[in-house]
Amino acid sequence: MTNHWIDLRNADVIMIIGSNAAENHPISFKWITKAMERGAKLISVDPRFTRTSAKAHLYAPLRSGTDIAFVGGMINYVLNDMEANPGNYNMEYVLQYTNASLIVNSSFKFTDGLFGDLKSGKYTADAKKTWKYADAKTPATDMTLKDPNSVFQLLKKHYARYDADTVCNITGTPKGAYLEVCRTYAQTGARGQAGTICYAMGATQHTYGVQNIRTYAILQLLLGNMGIAGGGINALRGTSNVQGSTDQGLLANLLPGYLNVPVEADTDLNAYLTRTGKSPDAAITPQNLAGDKSVNWWGNARKYMVSMLKAWYGDAAIKANDFCFSYLPKTDPAVNYTHIGMIEAIGAGKIKGLWVWGQNPAAGGSNSNGARDALGKLEWMMCADIWENETAAFWKRPGVNPAQIGTEVFLLPMAGSFEKEGSVSNSGRWVQWRYKAVEPPGEARPDLEVLNEMMLKLKELYAGDTSPKAKTINDLVWNYGEISSEKVAMEMNGCNLATGKLMDAFGNLKDDGTTSCGNWLHCNQFSYDANGTMINNAKNRINVDDHPKQIGQYGGWAWCWPMNRRIIYNRAAVDLDGNPWDAERPVVWWDSTDPKAKSGWVGDIIDGGGDAINVAKAGDKRLPFIMNKEGVGRLWGDALAEGPLPEVYEAWESPLEKNLMSGQKSNPCAFIGTYMNPQGTPDKFPYVCTTYRCTEHWQTGIMTRNLPWLAELQPEMYVEMGEDLAGAKGIRSGDKVVVSSARGEVNAVAIVTKRFQALKVDGQTIHHVGVPWHWGYAGMSKGDSGNILTPHVGDANTSIPEFKTFLCNVVRRA
Amino acid sequence: MATAHERTIERFKKRTVWFHWINTVAFVTLLVTGMFLFLPGLGIVAQDSITRVIHRVAAVIFVLGPIVYFFTNPKMSLHFIKETLTWGKDDFQWMKAAPDYHFSGDENKMPPQGHVNTGQKMWQGVVIGTFILFVATGTVMWFFKGEVSSGVFQWCLVIHDLAFIAGFAMLLVHIYLGAIHPRMERIFSFHAGWEDIRTLCQGPLRQMVR
Amino acid sequence: MAKAILFDATKCTACRGCQVACKQWNELKAEETTNRGTCENPPDLSPDTWLKIKFAEVSKNGNGAIDWLFTRRSCMHCTEAACVTVCPSGALSHHKLGYVDYNKDKCTGCGYCVEACPFKVPKTDGGNLTGIRKASKCLFCRDRVTNGLQPACVTTCPTAALQFDERNKLVTLGRDRVEKIRSTYPKANLYGEKELDGLHVMYVLPYSPEVHGLPVDPKVQTATEARDLLKWVGVGAVAAVVAVAGLNFLVARARMIQASKERGES
Repeated sequence: MTNHWIDLRNADVIMIIGSNAAENHPISFKWITKAMERGAKLISVDPRFTRTSAKAHLYAPLRSGTDIAFVGGMINYVLNDMEANPGNYNMEYVLQYTNASLIVNSSFKFTDGLFGDLKSGKYTADAKKTWKYADAKTPATDMTLKDPNSVFQLLKKHYARYDADTVCNITGTPKGAYLEVCRTYAQTGARGQAGTICYAMGATQHTYGVQNIRTYAILQLLLGNMGIAGGGINALRGTSNVQGSTDQGLLANLLPGYLNVPVEADTDLNAYLTRTGKSPDAAITPQNLAGDKSVNWWGNARKYMVSMLKAWYGDAAIKANDFCFSYLPKTDPAVNYTHIGMIEAIGAGKIKGLWVWGQNPAAGGSNSNGARDALGKLEWMMCADIWENETAAFWKRPGVNPAQIGTEVFLLPMAGSFEKEGSVSNSGRWVQWRYKAVEPPGEARPDLEVLNEMMLKLKELYAGDTSPKAKTINDLVWNYGEISSEKVAMEMNGCNLATGKLMDAFGNLKDDGTTSCGNWLHCNQFSYDANGTMINNAKNRINVDDHPKQIGQYGGWAWCWPMNRRIIYNRAAVDLDGNPWDAERPVVWWDSTDPKAKSGWVGDIIDGGGDAINVAKAGDKRLPFIMNKEGVGRLWGDALAEGPLPEVYEAWESPLEKNLMSGQKSNPCAFIGTYMNPQGTPDKFPYVCTTYRCTEHWQTGIMTRNLPWLAELQPEMYVEMGEDLAGAKGIRSGDKVVVSSARGEVNAVAIVTKRFQALKVDGQTIHHVGVPWHWGYAGMSKGDSGNILTPHVGDANTSIPEFKTFLCNVVRRA
Repeated sequence: MATAHERTIERFKKRTVWFHWINTVAFVTLLVTGMFLFLPGLGIVAQDSITRVIHRVAAVIFVLGPIVYFFTNPKMSLHFIKETLTWGKDDFQWMKAAPDYHFSGDENKMPPQGHVNTGQKMWQGVVIGTFILFVATGTVMWFFKGEVSSGVFQWCLVIHDLAFIAGFAMLLVHIYLGAIHPRMERIFSFHAGWEDIRTLCQGPLRQMVR
Repeated sequence: MAKAILFDATKCTACRGCQVACKQWNELKAEETTNRGTCENPPDLSPDTWLKIKFAEVSKNGNGAIDWLFTRRSCMHCTEAACVTVCPSGALSHHKLGYVDYNKDKCTGCGYCVEACPFKVPKTDGGNLTGIRKASKCLFCRDRVTNGLQPACVTTCPTAALQFDERNKLVTLGRDRVEKIRSTYPKANLYGEKELDGLHVMYVLPYSPEVHGLPVDPKVQTATEARDLLKWVGVGAVAAVVAVAGLNFLVARARMIQASKERGES
């Protein structure tokens, strides 16, 4: 989240889209309820009327997978309203803090759904060049926003096709409800009004999921909602500590701290930094804005990389050997290393062995039958988990003969989260330390201890081996002694290698090898008190709102990254003089005379340092969006796979014959898997199926389906469908039915409900059907896995599977 | 004990006596165990359902007794019922004469009586009437609790309670008139000894005839 | 000072944390359930389930929009408690904090409370044949509330749909909330404010009670009240008989002695 959980209570309008927060993030509703008590309006946008919708003032149904049309239409609404009634919007924010005024390359062309030429599912380098600003280093701007090549006008032109009638024809949303949503949300564009967008997997799990999120960014920037209290783009993370996992780089394309994984072509550290755009000279400085300095924070990446390499390789990492940069594994850009790519590779026999830590690909990834089949191609697999889940038991699953599966499976029992000590990072980036409550049962052990032993064993195996590959193990610093989470946390925080003192700020990290830091984001998690005693700030539990205007900051409760800054991009929460847009709920304000001020700013930790723009010296007037090269928020962005602006595409399996917006039916850059992944068509699979979670179970249910109190609440795999569809198929609530897709079928109990309404899309009636993905053949409460139905296709940028939209059929079981 | 100038007649057959006492024991058991659920404060004795189980066991005996007796002594049973339901002038006369008789011993207004006097007939009526009510409502409450509505259940309770009140009150009268009233040729003196109780059990209803 | 729980149906998200917290605190076991075509489970209260949330899909103000109502179901802790009236052993009683207390040890298993309760809350755990059983119901977390804590359900509720406080404060809070939501829900009401002399579990309801599955203007059944009265009738009848018999005995004996004296018998 750019903001955090408590901050939700500051919003005036909360739009929950692609999320069912009441069911899947129930505690969020503590704060959302408080916001509503203050008069805030809640909007729920969802194909299904959920427990979230039951609390909302406005509910708007939409066909699963049509978010870009929906939000694109809101963008269109706002752009038109902005031109008609600029006084209702914060035009100063739009002009000074976004790239609305920047002039784009005049060779940019958008034709019938495409942004240039494609080659093998990727836009060519030439095409991508046309997405850049006309002047790549110091873009010209038009502060009147009238230049046809200005971002603003290009945005307007692009979304002019997204009028309410066209949008509602695509999404199936009743027009009255749709316009009510647009009107209500657009009101947050006024100064002193805050709108927040809360989203989760409903937004991300599509072949164009990242573009879904881009539409929120565009909308929020136009409405001046980034950086303010009660605003922001708030990802409600899908798992406890998935925030922690992405922070530590547990994704195929990341290193800790959201640094990029290097590729083969990165011959050295500097080449890598240049390629990834994370070098000091990557800064882009727009002309004529009041802010004249783009801080280009990623330009510091060299310091973070070097400090991280020093943490890993210690004394072996020196300037002469580029700090052991060559030791890092390099990827091949043509290969997809993400979950789908990995399963495909396993299926193709390219991967011999697999470590599965607290993960359940046999039920949690898409296309379960394909995944389960692929696992059988492994020579060996290690599963570390607190229960024997579907993955660990894949070789003895119903319908297979274990004698025919050659995979050797090791199941290591692991300690649960209350049986060990360490931190969990929540969606709001808060790192909260937790303690061990009970001993793990039997032989179960904390993951950290097991990993430590494995690494020490690995080092033992390679000791004496002088080959180059062995150096990556032998030179690795691994001297924890009796390992503890706190020791690792301290390493992540980093230290001054000369003095041994823990680092207090990543701003002080160096690229000369004198500092060490496992993860620059966690720098500042530790500090020293007046007596010089080390404090792990993740342990803090001061239950006091320490913000002068009581916006729910609680800076003394736990510690968040970066630098305990609770609301990021908060530089955009003030005007050019440093005065807050919202006097009632300010985040920061410039007042160098205030004794409580830190570097002249009162309130939250200021983003990017420096003085207020109009106060600062020329050349140091810092633009607010410090993580962007151009320093301003990107309405227009050139960094994503499928283009600078989100555009409507249909899902890989769509009930429609064509895309109603253009001739390009689906995302040309989506990742399409081929392993046991047939594509379904509407003639055989006429209904739109979506998958989701319920409050009572979690993920693949491996914890919750083994807990009697939760199995009592939701005992069986079910499918929800509307009354119209059920009536037509002769299905009543409680009937046993079979839901099928091109990839498999699942048995489920039918819940016939008013909450799925048939939608009218381009004259067609679209029926939705929804299944949870919590069940599997392992555990106490057994059932078929929803992911048997889902397709092995993924987002163009992240490859996150398209769990949320595909085609299915439903029949009553005789 | 019969004296020289006395003779005894067999008023009630042995099996009738047996039946009477078995029924009495069952009835008193039912009465006592039922009372624990009736009077506030006494219910504590009934905790853990012990007395309620006893109530059920006694109920079975209470129901089976008359049924077995009826089928083994149909003529006597039918006679008993007919006797109870036959009311005439003499019965109303008895009722008018009863207060004087029972308080002052004045027999003059007493009309002739049959095998049983009117007072006993009234008691028999209460016995049969409450039996029907107890068994009907008891059956509903025992076997159909949860199937009948709560209103029906609770009204059955009310009727069961009323039958209990009527039955218990009349039982006290029955015991009083049968064994305590100074005028009745009692089986035992007011100060009963064990000898008398044995006599009571063996064949108490052999009316002494003067 | 009498305490109460206020349940605000407009804030409940049916997370069912309360259902599970109740089971956890009271060490109640999970029931074996099936999916009956609804998210709602278990089907009803039972000896092992003292609290549940009911789900109902209804039409929202009749204009095609729908609403999904989540309503708490548990002991209402009535002031005029039918169960206390009928309980023969005093197992059910009123606590000075206002809730209906229950001492399982004293329970006779008669099941009268099951029949008398207007909300059908108490449930017994044995069959009819032997009649050996005990009743169960929400205990208002008495071990918590008598030790300065809030009931488990209230403590766990994330949205503060459940609140615990002095009853008169919650009445004010409930009334204010009802006023606040009336523009959206014209039939909003504070259920339990006056019903049965006041319930110690009150509800802010957006719709009228029957839409939420709650009885409108619940009353103690006439049969229950009749039974209550009968105790005194019974005692009176027996006392009358004993009195008359006693009098009769004394009078009759006196006259007999008198008569025998007159006849010359000593």
